[in-house]
Amino acid sequence: MSVQYHLKLAPGDVAPYVLLPGDPGRVPLVASLWDESREVASNREYVTFTGTYRGVPISCTSTGIGCPSTAIAMEELARVGATTFVRIGTCGTFQDRVRNGDMAIFDSAARYDGASRLYAPLEFPAVADHEIVGASIAAGEALGYPFHVGTTRSADTFYAMHPRPGSSFNDYWQSSWRDHFEDLKRMNVIAAEMEASVILVLARIWGLRAGGIAVVLDNVLRVSGASGEFDPQDQFEHGGDEIERLARMGSEIVRIVAERDAARDPPRRELDVNPT
Amino acid sequence: MISQYHVKLVPGDVAPYVLLPGDPGRVPVVASYWDEAREVARNREYVTYTGTYRGAPISCTSTGIGAPSTAIALEELARVGATTFVRIGTCGSLQTRARVGDLAIFDSAARYDGASRLYAPLEFPAAADHAVVTAAIDAARSLGVTHHVGTALTTDVFYTPQEGVAFGGYEQSWAREVYEDARRQNALAAEMESSAVMVLTRVWGLRGGAMAVVSDDVFEMVGETGPFDAETTFDVGAAQMERLARVGSETVRVLAGRDAARRTS
Repeated sequence: MSVQYHLKLAPGDVAPYVLLPGDPGRVPLVASLWDESREVASNREYVTFTGTYRGVPISCTSTGIGCPSTAIAMEELARVGATTFVRIGTCGTFQDRVRNGDMAIFDSAARYDGASRLYAPLEFPAVADHEIVGASIAAGEALGYPFHVGTTRSADTFYAMHPRPGSSFNDYWQSSWRDHFEDLKRMNVIAAEMEASVILVLARIWGLRAGGIAVVLDNVLRVSGASGEFDPQDQFEHGGDEIERLARMGSEIVRIVAERDAARDPPRRELDVNPT
Repeated sequence: MISQYHVKLVPGDVAPYVLLPGDPGRVPVVASYWDEAREVARNREYVTYTGTYRGAPISCTSTGIGAPSTAIALEELARVGATTFVRIGTCGSLQTRARVGDLAIFDSAARYDGASRLYAPLEFPAAADHAVVTAAIDAARSLGVTHHVGTALTTDVFYTPQEGVAFGGYEQSWAREVYEDARRQNALAAEMESSAVMVLTRVWGLRGGAMAVVSDDVFEMVGETGPFDAETTFDVGAAQMERLARVGSETVRVLAGRDAARRTS
């Protein structure tokens, strides 16, 4: 098989377990926590490192921002042998109980994206594999990180859908945006980000496994406050050790999943899907 | 508090853990496997028994068929103190790996129902609570019941408008490939209540899950065997119901044990 069109990966280049950050710049940072690693490909927004973490084979591929580029990464990673996908990202929150710096573990996603609905209709649930959720909870507990398990909202826009004019350029605004955030808060949605829904839907329809975690950088409702002004550079809480904790928790999730897979008797069947 | 309008329950009548079959006739059958049980209410399609199963407080309320009557049961049960909901039902398999008599454990549902979308838009996932899913898996394992974990196809129609199923040969183009597409999406089995259980519990911050014993294969039912006749093609015998009642009750026991351990730690 020749290399995949966008990711430039061939079978053997990646481990079965792949961490998925959005930012290509974070891939070497994630890999720096492993026992050993090497860059296996770099093209467009897609950077891939492969190595071992505490004895477990592991890869990390950046998806770029949003579900379209993430769907491409998933398609091509699955073709070269990836079976377990864990998104590691950043998010905002709708809930007051969730604080900046906390971890959000996604057991499901609200599908405000375009790509996933071209694969399966909106009725179909974006839901994480329970083994990944279980391993994520175990990793959060072992590391002593505060975490919350729940639904994320995956949307295709970063600057749109705020309750008041000011988030989009030139004060562009739509009335249908007014109650969007408050409705999500009332639906008990814990996070806002841009990639989880397509990762969960694609893995599920293929019979593969996926989950996701994100570190919380802001409270969406507070940031989109009275003025309507939105300046992520000022309003998001960056700069601490958030990304390092994210990378560590993601790598620990892979270790726990891999150890549980190995302990299974008979060993886990990788592909639990009917031939079509 | 006066009793709830439809289910006729008041606070104290139900345990925090409630099993939800569709059929009111199955409630006493489920309760017959408990240590002790009593009927606490009966009205319309809603029959409720409360008791203990291997020391765990437990209730069982029938929902009637479909998401609308199920949503009413959930609203009223939550008001009188129920916090954990486990649907126990029957389903039709969409995958050859899930055979008649196997147990489908639903971690999620495709939302082809009407009621749940009046609570939250279709973008919102019908996802089961993680603790309920893992307890159901552990319960099925401990009882040696063959099980599969996956997505339910929850629909508001039993007699889908496709050839050989709906009355008079009535057919709609959307229905022609709905099951084939669901099979390709890796959905596990079709039934009629899980999506509402999962969406409502999730928006409320309560816990919901679902399991169903496979009573038929959807594709055999709509296949070359001629007109669909549920009476002759479904297997909902006593052995199936016993398996369902036992795994459901055991799921509650596992959850209650873990909840108690968490409170004391």
